[in-house]
Amino acid sequence: MTQIRIAGFGGQGVILAGVILGEAAAIEGLNVLQTQDYGSQSRGGHSVADVIISREPLYDVMVTKADVLMAMSQIGYNGAIDSLREGGTLIIDTDLVKSDREFIGAPFTRLAEEKVGLALTVNMVALGYLVAKTGIVKKESVEEAIRRRVPRGTEEINLKAFRIGYEEGVK
Amino acid sequence: MYLESSYKIRDKYLRTDMLPTMFCPGCGIGSVLQFTLRSIEELGWKQDEVVWVSGIGCSSRVPGYVNFDGLHTTHGRALAFATGIKMANPDLKVVVFAGDGDMSAIGGNHFIHAIRRNLDVTVILINNFTYGMTGGQVAPTALKGLKGTTAPYGNFENPFDISQLAVAAGANYVARWSVFNYVQGMNSIKKALQKKGFSLVEFLSPCPVSFGRRNRMKTAPELIRWYQKITVPISKAKKMSPEELEGKVIIGEFVDRDRPSLDEEYERYKERAKKLMGWEE
Amino acid sequence: MRYPFSVGRSDFIQGDEAIARAAILAGCRFYAGYPITPASEIFEAMALYMPLVDGVSIQMEDELGSIAAVIGASWTGAKAMTATSGPGFSLMMENLGYAVMTETPMVVVDVQRGGPSTGQPTLAAQGDVMQAIWGTHGDHSIIVLTPATVQEAFDMTIRAFNLAEKYRTPVVLLTDGEVGHMRERVNIPDPDEIERIYRKIPKSKEQGKYPFRDWDGDGVPPMPVFGRGYRAYITGLTHDERGKPKTVEAEIHESLIRRIVDKIEKNKKDIIDYETFDLDDADVAIVSYGIASRSAIRAVKILRKEGIKAGLLKLNVVWPFDFEMIERIAERVNRIYVAEMNLGQVYHLVKEGANGKAEVELIPKIGGEVHTPKDIIERVR
Repeated sequence: MTQIRIAGFGGQGVILAGVILGEAAAIEGLNVLQTQDYGSQSRGGHSVADVIISREPLYDVMVTKADVLMAMSQIGYNGAIDSLREGGTLIIDTDLVKSDREFIGAPFTRLAEEKVGLALTVNMVALGYLVAKTGIVKKESVEEAIRRRVPRGTEEINLKAFRIGYEEGVK
Repeated sequence: MYLESSYKIRDKYLRTDMLPTMFCPGCGIGSVLQFTLRSIEELGWKQDEVVWVSGIGCSSRVPGYVNFDGLHTTHGRALAFATGIKMANPDLKVVVFAGDGDMSAIGGNHFIHAIRRNLDVTVILINNFTYGMTGGQVAPTALKGLKGTTAPYGNFENPFDISQLAVAAGANYVARWSVFNYVQGMNSIKKALQKKGFSLVEFLSPCPVSFGRRNRMKTAPELIRWYQKITVPISKAKKMSPEELEGKVIIGEFVDRDRPSLDEEYERYKERAKKLMGWEE
Repeated sequence: MRYPFSVGRSDFIQGDEAIARAAILAGCRFYAGYPITPASEIFEAMALYMPLVDGVSIQMEDELGSIAAVIGASWTGAKAMTATSGPGFSLMMENLGYAVMTETPMVVVDVQRGGPSTGQPTLAAQGDVMQAIWGTHGDHSIIVLTPATVQEAFDMTIRAFNLAEKYRTPVVLLTDGEVGHMRERVNIPDPDEIERIYRKIPKSKEQGKYPFRDWDGDGVPPMPVFGRGYRAYITGLTHDERGKPKTVEAEIHESLIRRIVDKIEKNKKDIIDYETFDLDDADVAIVSYGIASRSAIRAVKILRKEGIKAGLLKLNVVWPFDFEMIERIAERVNRIYVAEMNLGQVYHLVKEGANGKAEVELIPKIGGEVHTPKDIIERVR
């Protein structure tokens, strides 16, 4: 079983990233649970998506000790860092987050702006990086999940962002 | 006007094993029920196609006495139940029989919305200015000054004009008469039953025991004479000043239009949905 | 029959969405509702699907109107449902009793949230259990189902409709904001493989004339649906078998109410559903239901690894309640813990059932966070 938590602020697309990751696992026939938590503001408040993936039947309801924490902003990091277990993988947006724990990461927001051309796709860039680094699901499963979940007409740009993040993770 | 023998109407439309009714001597509900049954007879409706719905109160007991499918529901909610019945099976004809307290107080919200939606239903409303079943408490329709057990010194609130409310909310047909206007009453009921969309026929109806007694009108004839005094036909009311109309109740047909009914609109909605989703045949 | 969502395969969807799809697959063709967090998604899904399957989805002016419209629709022969949360559920109580008294099949979904009053609209709770069972006035018995996963939300919705039709009664599907909004993989069966029960219809005009007589001896009268010539009279007043109001004769009231209550109580074996985890040789039993039971399953596994013989009784139906089963468990174990997201509701039922044969303790949790396995383990150790 792998517990993954993605944390950021409202507007970064944290929840959608969690849903797509969960859908990818479901496509592969794995057992998966996805939940979310967010403040009432549409933009700016905290936003957390939990995804738990397992081959066995899943009874857990929430992430208790995350194996992977991806923090897309400092506010997300501050709120979620205590849930990362010792030895767990910490992924951060290196431009936006400061941490004194061991981490891996890349400047997701900058990559989204400069390489994709749309800052709004930061969540797909970050997701690509996470999938490359953890191998928790197959690249193809995520791409299929993206096609199913993103608003019609935005599939291409979201796939582009995902692949850019994935390549960054593979480097 | 030719009237069928009442025995014929009784035998065809009343559930004899549910009689006697619980109505008091002098109550106007029986008359209004007769008008309604005669109208249904004249229109030649199939009894199996009609469903009567009511709330709680003396008027709401009516479905129990008539030989049709009937749903005697909770206080004020008849129109909400009726919405479910009509929308789930639009082939059924729905008649709602209720009183003024039930419909305009606790049922006010459902009343407004059923009219707003233009639900295809006919409401026969008994307005006796009181809550008769429970002993004569004051109702939102009671004119100022009238007495009820909960306003023993004379009603201090402004009354609802239910018919005007229905017109403003968008009903297709609204009329108000008193029980002694039986010719106009039956004609209105016939019009209302045939009209698609929301139709309301309101009847000022005597309640000697709960209402009349507390207002110095112990008998039905006294109440009916009082109705004759306070009611004014629309044509006459147009020429009267607001001061002259104080304490008067206007009777007549207030509106007669043909806006599309809820089930007609929903049919179009379904077609729209199927088209948008690419589901057409 | 074409469905507006995929069938015969699995999908990754929210609990609320699963409930809507299950309802449509079960044959529900009438939905009336009012917006309320966290149940609005059920309404929105029904609104999307109903027009395509020639059903009705309508937004009523309030929850009282919603449940009333559902009951009305059921009397025309349609399978009907509404969904709400705490505040709306409170408003529905009177008409829920009307559905019990008139023996109307229907499903009410309560997606529980923090209460009382407006409370915590976006967080889960299990505080409506007693209200679901006892909330409407007068003596009655009602069926209350409690799913814990999205798959169960799907499966139990279909079961809810079948039980409602079989016993001519309203059924409450008591879920919560957590199950409603979480996403899990759900197997959506082939529509042809789904068992659907439909209510008994009168076999003759004579049967239709007596809509409340126990013709078949199983406590469930055939339902004289409107528009087919039965000329049924349905009222919430105490009535005889004909439907005639008879409010002052004690025997009539007693025989009517006892039959309505026995319909559910005497069929406990058929209605009750539960699962056990490591309960057979347990020294300590945990009783739980709904979302909290998931953490309890994990807790039992961890306790067993520590050498503590813990076992779990996971209730899928909280009413009718099997008091005898609790007593048998109490005879075998030392302690029973009840883990629920409220200040003690099923706890009292368990305590009554244990009949003094074991100590019963409550592991409550309110505030919107689900029990963690640790919450349960620390109390049991």
